[in-house]
Amino acid sequence: MTSHGRDLSRRRLLFGGAALGAGALLVGCTSNEEKPTEAQTKAAANESGGNSEPGKKVTIGFSAPAADHGWIAAITNNAKAQAGAYSDVEFKSVEAGADAAAQRAALSTLLSQKPDVIVLLPHDGKELNAFGLEAMKAGIPVVNLDRAFPDAKAYRLQIKGDNYGMGVAAATFIVEQLKAKGVSNPVIGEIAGIDSLELTQERSKGFADTLAQNGLKVANRRAAEFTADSGQQAATGLFQALPKIDAIWNHDDDQGIGVLAAVNQANRKEFFMVGGAGSKKAMEDIQADNTVLKATVTYSPSMASSAISLARLIGQGRGMSDLVELQVPKEIVLASETITKENASDYLKLGF
Amino acid sequence: MTTDSTKAAPDRAALPAQSPPVDPAQTEAAAGHAATAKAPNRGRIPFWSGEGGEGARRNLGLLATLVVLVVIGIATRPDLYGNASWVWGNTLTILKLASVVGVVTVGMTFVIIGGGIDLSVGAIVALAGVWCTTVATQSYGAGGMIFSALVVGLAVGVVNGLLISYGKLVPFIATLAMMVAARGLAAEISDKQTQVSDNQFINGIASTSLLGIPLLVYILAAVVIAGWVLLNRTTFGRRTVAVGGNAEAARLAGINVRLHTLLLYALSGLCCGIAAIMLTAQANSAQAAMANLYELDAIAAAIIGGTLLSGGRGTIVGSLLGVIIFSTITNLFAINGLSTEAQNMVKGGIIVAAVLIQQVQFGNLGTRFGRKRASTA
Amino acid sequence: MSAADDRDPTATGPTTPDHRGEAATNDHHDDRAADQPTAGRHAAPDQEAAADRQVAPEHEAAGRHAAERAPDGGARPLVEAPADTVAGEVVLRLTDVVKTFPGVRALDGVQLEVRAGEVHCLLGQNGAGKSTLIKVLAGVHRPDSGEVMWRGEPAAFANPQAAMRAGIATIYQELDLVDDLSVAENAFLGHEPRRLGFVRRGHMARRTRGILARLGHGEIPPGRLVRHLPAAGKQVVSMARALSHEARLIIMDEPSAVLAHDEVDNLFRIIRELTAQGIAVIYISHRLEEIREIGDRVTVLKDGRTTAANLPARDTPTRDLVSRMTGRSIEYVFPDRPVDEPAGEELLTVDGLTRAGEFADVSLNVRAGEIVGIAGLVGSGRSELLETIYGARRAESGTVRMDGRALRAGSVGAAVKAGMGMAPEERKSQALLLGEPIYRNVTLATFGRYSRLGFTNAGRERDEAGRIADNLELRPRDVRRAVGTLSGGNQQKVVVGRWLLGDTRLLLLDEPTRGVDVGARAELYQVIRQLAARGVGVLLVSSEVPEVLGLADRVLVMREGRVVREAPADELDENTVLDLVMAGSLMEGAPA
Repeated sequence: MTSHGRDLSRRRLLFGGAALGAGALLVGCTSNEEKPTEAQTKAAANESGGNSEPGKKVTIGFSAPAADHGWIAAITNNAKAQAGAYSDVEFKSVEAGADAAAQRAALSTLLSQKPDVIVLLPHDGKELNAFGLEAMKAGIPVVNLDRAFPDAKAYRLQIKGDNYGMGVAAATFIVEQLKAKGVSNPVIGEIAGIDSLELTQERSKGFADTLAQNGLKVANRRAAEFTADSGQQAATGLFQALPKIDAIWNHDDDQGIGVLAAVNQANRKEFFMVGGAGSKKAMEDIQADNTVLKATVTYSPSMASSAISLARLIGQGRGMSDLVELQVPKEIVLASETITKENASDYLKLGF
Repeated sequence: MTTDSTKAAPDRAALPAQSPPVDPAQTEAAAGHAATAKAPNRGRIPFWSGEGGEGARRNLGLLATLVVLVVIGIATRPDLYGNASWVWGNTLTILKLASVVGVVTVGMTFVIIGGGIDLSVGAIVALAGVWCTTVATQSYGAGGMIFSALVVGLAVGVVNGLLISYGKLVPFIATLAMMVAARGLAAEISDKQTQVSDNQFINGIASTSLLGIPLLVYILAAVVIAGWVLLNRTTFGRRTVAVGGNAEAARLAGINVRLHTLLLYALSGLCCGIAAIMLTAQANSAQAAMANLYELDAIAAAIIGGTLLSGGRGTIVGSLLGVIIFSTITNLFAINGLSTEAQNMVKGGIIVAAVLIQQVQFGNLGTRFGRKRASTA
Repeated sequence: MSAADDRDPTATGPTTPDHRGEAATNDHHDDRAADQPTAGRHAAPDQEAAADRQVAPEHEAAGRHAAERAPDGGARPLVEAPADTVAGEVVLRLTDVVKTFPGVRALDGVQLEVRAGEVHCLLGQNGAGKSTLIKVLAGVHRPDSGEVMWRGEPAAFANPQAAMRAGIATIYQELDLVDDLSVAENAFLGHEPRRLGFVRRGHMARRTRGILARLGHGEIPPGRLVRHLPAAGKQVVSMARALSHEARLIIMDEPSAVLAHDEVDNLFRIIRELTAQGIAVIYISHRLEEIREIGDRVTVLKDGRTTAANLPARDTPTRDLVSRMTGRSIEYVFPDRPVDEPAGEELLTVDGLTRAGEFADVSLNVRAGEIVGIAGLVGSGRSELLETIYGARRAESGTVRMDGRALRAGSVGAAVKAGMGMAPEERKSQALLLGEPIYRNVTLATFGRYSRLGFTNAGRERDEAGRIADNLELRPRDVRRAVGTLSGGNQQKVVVGRWLLGDTRLLLLDEPTRGVDVGARAELYQVIRQLAARGVGVLLVSSEVPEVLGLADRVLVMREGRVVREAPADELDENTVLDLVMAGSLMEGAPA
């Protein structure tokens, strides 16, 4: 073999090695799928009497947007798991695609299968209001999850988190802490989620209103996109604008990962932060108490599990056993709770 | 192509002497002209200016835009700009903010100059970021994460290139499909979750500074310099301009247009792999929705930087300035506490204005001056 | 000029060439014959005339007409021709029209007078201002100063639509038709007959059919997509568009450039019909013989000025026309063939090369130092053959060998590596990076040669390109200028020069002088001959038979994709070749 040839073959070998390594790395990657925690569903067997007793067979149709966010992924997983916990529930899920139009199309195929109840997390409550009306008119009760229909006739039950309440809870916590520290004239920052969403606006309004009641205001507000990288960028911008900060509310714990990264990168420690939604990682951070994140206000995806349970009852024509009424109520708004170091261990099982 | 040039030498040497037509006096004159023309040729062009006086002027316009933005910043927040250390820190923040998109834009600039477009860059960044932060990949350590991000970026770029150069798909369609598919794959791998990076080395990339300058800025500088050299001083760059400027002419001149097109998309993919590491480091995590709309940011930056969307012309420096202008605007809006919506409107306006100004200033005004000169002469 | 206008109205007879042919029996006739291109081939360069070219044209023009000419007053027209062949009233008159662009005075005092029913030819080299003049008339540019009188009124067209509405239609060289619209839709593009916002398709088709019939092409279906028409058919559609506007003046920019020989005859027939209807035509062409055949009067432009106006197209000696355009007096100057031809080694061997529908079973060879010419019409498969030899198209069967070694089919890279170079047919779209500097275009195929480890060496490239520029007398000489700013001839030099830098031993030239002015042509011929003298083999394709005959050592005649004749150039004459080329092809390419 000529030296050239040998050289080539060695190169080949090197390359082959590299390719093998790459293959191992690339193939070795497994999907990080996570099963929903037991705690987020309500096991049917555990319940004594009442609602948990098997009843009439119920088919529940379910639709939620294609998840690009941990919270929505948790919603879908919880719904599926809760349905699995009932022997008398048949669960039919349709992918809702990327936007309201796609979801409308998916829902119309669901409607044609005549489920007993439809549980629906719409892309946009306003845009899918007409579908709610249509399904209700066809005699199929609709359970609206989280994003409200403007028209009361468009749903049988609405179960949602309290976006305004989140803002209130976050502001209340911040005000308490600042008062305890005796900070006068505090600088408060806010990192919001996607600005065009109504839920973001509600959260910010609750936050601003509550601060105003205490004579405070938001010094600077940056909007991110519910993703960690956008959270990092928004936080970096916020730090540039405010050389000294006393407190920050970040709407979403997923983007909070990026916010915390930005905190590290900018080496800013002078403030404390409140998160939003209540992810498992946020709760762990709060419990460990080694970051600026001191609390988070919940907006729990466990509402999907509850929605399936209630949809089952609606389908069977039963009421909630603990209530006097014979039917399931029309609206349920979950309270937004504040998770701090003290109670984090209780809530950790609800984290997503 | 680089075979025996020795053989060519005598041939070429034989050619000069008597040039074809007519009039010896004129030939002499031409030779004399050549002699006088040649001497200043070498001295006159500073090495950094490349060929384009046009490009340099364009970049000056962009610099002027930057200055205007800074002046607006000073006017609106004199309290902050009064503090020198804040100003320095803010400058570094702007550069850090520009670094990820900047790296993507370098690759995009090559693709556009080469006559293509890559709509999949944001998706490639997301896919590479997600891939390198899976539990399995993270177990290989920082080296494994970096390696897999680069390989994933490169591989997706190669697939793009294959589809376009050998599959004869239109770049817009091929990369649009890849944009959707790569995000889908990223969502599948991550199960739509945010994957946290626990690797301190990777996370450290975003928080480390050397000599007071963040590592991310060094990476951006390295990629930009490498890109500049590649475009302006190498045969690869020349082929890029040729392929984008006139693919048929390049082909008939013996350039392997298909292979080169493939390489361009591979290069863009590789840049996305680098950017994925940087962005993962910044966010300490990766997810399928990350690097949202980076393709548009990169294309917009390249275009206001003077890159011709139809190919054949463009500068790396212009693209870099484009990215920095955008991140300066973002910064300007942040320090003034203005909303993202207003910021997006201004960005759109800047894109249109930059292109319009370039047309007016370097087209019309040039001709107007030229005409004036011609008529006074 | 006014004197000419009024002169001799009795002579304004019918304008069809048949009649003019009879009228043109004067003493200039012999001159014209002597100046026919064929007669000029192989003529040694006219040293005297060439050396004189710095001298103002009027000096050389000391011919028979000298007495009639006004003394040259700069921009003033030199010749007021006897208006013996001119009919009708003056429809268009330009006086001292000036148009400047940055750094260039494109039009610098143009005079032009066009009468109804005449074919007025515009002659001039590339860069003489013809294109700018057309664009001024078509409303694309507005003149800086000077007067444009259209049908007796001062006219200033704000845009092309305005010019169209006023009755001036322009047919550009690159026909501006929409390939995927029908004939009728193209004819009425932009002014479709409408009712209530709906296009009246039936009405439009009927009117189109009428117009096509008027053009003598009633057989073209108005509903057919333009894409499916041959080049000549597309030209007819362009003319139909002009007529759909009720045009009174049609400007044709090199209409014959895209046409094969028999199609040109057809074009002339149409032009005659148009002029018989009183429509004026401004006809632009590089080909003197066409001007002789179809033209009534000639206006010559040089450097943006009118150097001669209203010369009789048939009778003005070629020598005069050429000298007014260029300062030279002979159109085709071919370099001498070497007396003793040393038979070089066989370079290129093509065996049984075939591509279905393009050419079949072509075998040929080219020796070192030999110029082989291929004569044939557009569509005879000659360009496709050249591209296939070069690897730009993949042969279906047959082989291409260089030095006896077979080349990989369909690989330009392999051909270049083996020492081939090609100057393709379409300079701008196939050969040049118009926005890039000259030197980068010159080194496009060879920049790898001057690189080290992938790093280019711009200084060396500029030097090498500068050497080529000197050799080829590139003007302007500055190799950092964008190649798009050069004239056609100089651009062609850049393309040919590209291959002088490499180890190119076989040069494939496809229409090397298309769009190249007369002066630059001679220079190119010299370059090609010199290359051959250095031992480079040349395979040349040209539509112009005199060029092939004058330049090549050996000639292949192609018809319908096959080589029908091969012979040394001096055994063939133009008529023989034309007969071979055209035989059986009269219907080919004509709109069906």
